[in-house]
Amino acid sequence: MTVSVTIGEIGAALRGKRLSARELTEETLRRVADANPRLNAFLTVTEAEARVRAAAVDDDLARGIDRGPLQGIPIAHKDNIFTRGVRTTSGSKIFADFVPEYDAAIVSQFNDAGAVMIGKTGLHEFAYGVTSNNPHFGAVRNPWDLERIPGGSSGGSAAAVAAGLIPLATGTDTGGSVRIPASFCGVVGLKPTYERVSRRGVMPLGLTFDHVGLLARTARDVALGFGIIAKHSSGYMPPGHADLRGMRIGVPENFFVDRIAPEVMLSFRAAVQTAAALGAHVTEMRLPDPEALNVVGRIAQLSEVSALLARYLGRRGDFGPDVLTLVEQGRLIPATDYLNAQRLRRVLARDFSRIWTHLDCVMTPATPMTAPGIGETSVEFGSFTEDVRTAATRLVRPFNVLGWPALALPCGFSSAGLPIGLQLVGPPQQEDTLLQAGAALEDALGIAGRRPAV
Amino acid sequence: MTNWKALAAAIEPPVPEELLPDVIPALEKLEAAFRPLERTIPPDTLPWFGPEDDA
Repeated sequence: MTVSVTIGEIGAALRGKRLSARELTEETLRRVADANPRLNAFLTVTEAEARVRAAAVDDDLARGIDRGPLQGIPIAHKDNIFTRGVRTTSGSKIFADFVPEYDAAIVSQFNDAGAVMIGKTGLHEFAYGVTSNNPHFGAVRNPWDLERIPGGSSGGSAAAVAAGLIPLATGTDTGGSVRIPASFCGVVGLKPTYERVSRRGVMPLGLTFDHVGLLARTARDVALGFGIIAKHSSGYMPPGHADLRGMRIGVPENFFVDRIAPEVMLSFRAAVQTAAALGAHVTEMRLPDPEALNVVGRIAQLSEVSALLARYLGRRGDFGPDVLTLVEQGRLIPATDYLNAQRLRRVLARDFSRIWTHLDCVMTPATPMTAPGIGETSVEFGSFTEDVRTAATRLVRPFNVLGWPALALPCGFSSAGLPIGLQLVGPPQQEDTLLQAGAALEDALGIAGRRPAV
Repeated sequence: MTNWKALAAAIEPPVPEELLPDVIPALEKLEAAFRPLERTIPPDTLPWFGPEDDA
């Protein structure tokens, strides 16, 4: 038995006594030890704790104590999520030796569900960037091409899942930090509705933009994890043969189709056709002004992050250059601009919300390009050159500003063998719709099982 | 438009001069996009507090 199967299959093997949690954990630790020197996906591996937890799971199962579908499942937490007694760096030199005294709420929820923490995953410094090319802990590498970035900021979580080291990992998403790495690494990433998942014990970044999310290989695996951590969870699991009959899907004909790499657009269009073939009512539509959302989001986020991080500027040399630049920019935003950005956010949210009177979800590309190379700072779309950060965030950040749930999942591969991702967006609290659509699409597209050779 | 350079020198601690070429152009671009939008905000608009508060 390996961990390159779904959470449901692993759970069935554990309950059927074909596999013990101890065996699964040892196999997982062996894989991590083998692959991590190449991927740098894990900053910390919690071997001893994992063995203790796995033994407890086996004891529970032997006594007939069933804690649900996550019992015995290996999991990794992004290293800006507090873990009691385990170093939590936030990818920062400033927090390199920080050891929390308590678990984040989601860590407690997964622990209570019997999940086995394998370790903490690498990230962009302070989760404030899209490359996970960390100046203090080294570059996290994309399992599909080790010379490319996994995306960020939850790059280690995405790389670990994509490589088949673990079936489930946590992430955080302030401006796309779950969905960008999901897209670049060919995994499924969920950014839930704002405040649907507790942020207690998660290092804050953008105070009104932070979302806690999940990364897994399939939408159904994400659904299992979401059922553990979601407030007011419905326990929804997409059926074995999910379809899209009657689902009203909007496909924007503005903004989300501009400056998209041709191969990305081709895969995206094919996925839209697949959705229609599965019974969805697909409608081309226009969204009010997504670029305005990005402008508002960047102003407010710059200000919010600097409110948190400016106190550490006495240690300027301990920041990486890109994060330092952003922190300095945020300090210069006047309070009046911050507040007017937040007022404009409400106006825009009201305008955008009108689409939900006639749609169930919206489908867009997740990122306009596949994973750039490590160290690349710009990307070209025809004659247009754009910096990697702006390009990677422009299709995903709008939904942090709106606080709507969004799911990224793979929809194809480029000629270079790199994953291409799409994004499904729904109205607040409608994650179940996205998981249903995601499961139906991944069943039909048949690419969720494709894995890199790491 | 805002004199970002003067602002950068006036705050405490000041933004180091060598960082200004990286810090200021992005702010200028952002401000140019933001000012026209800002003028469209209806006077009775409150800040955003969450997606359930949109209506």
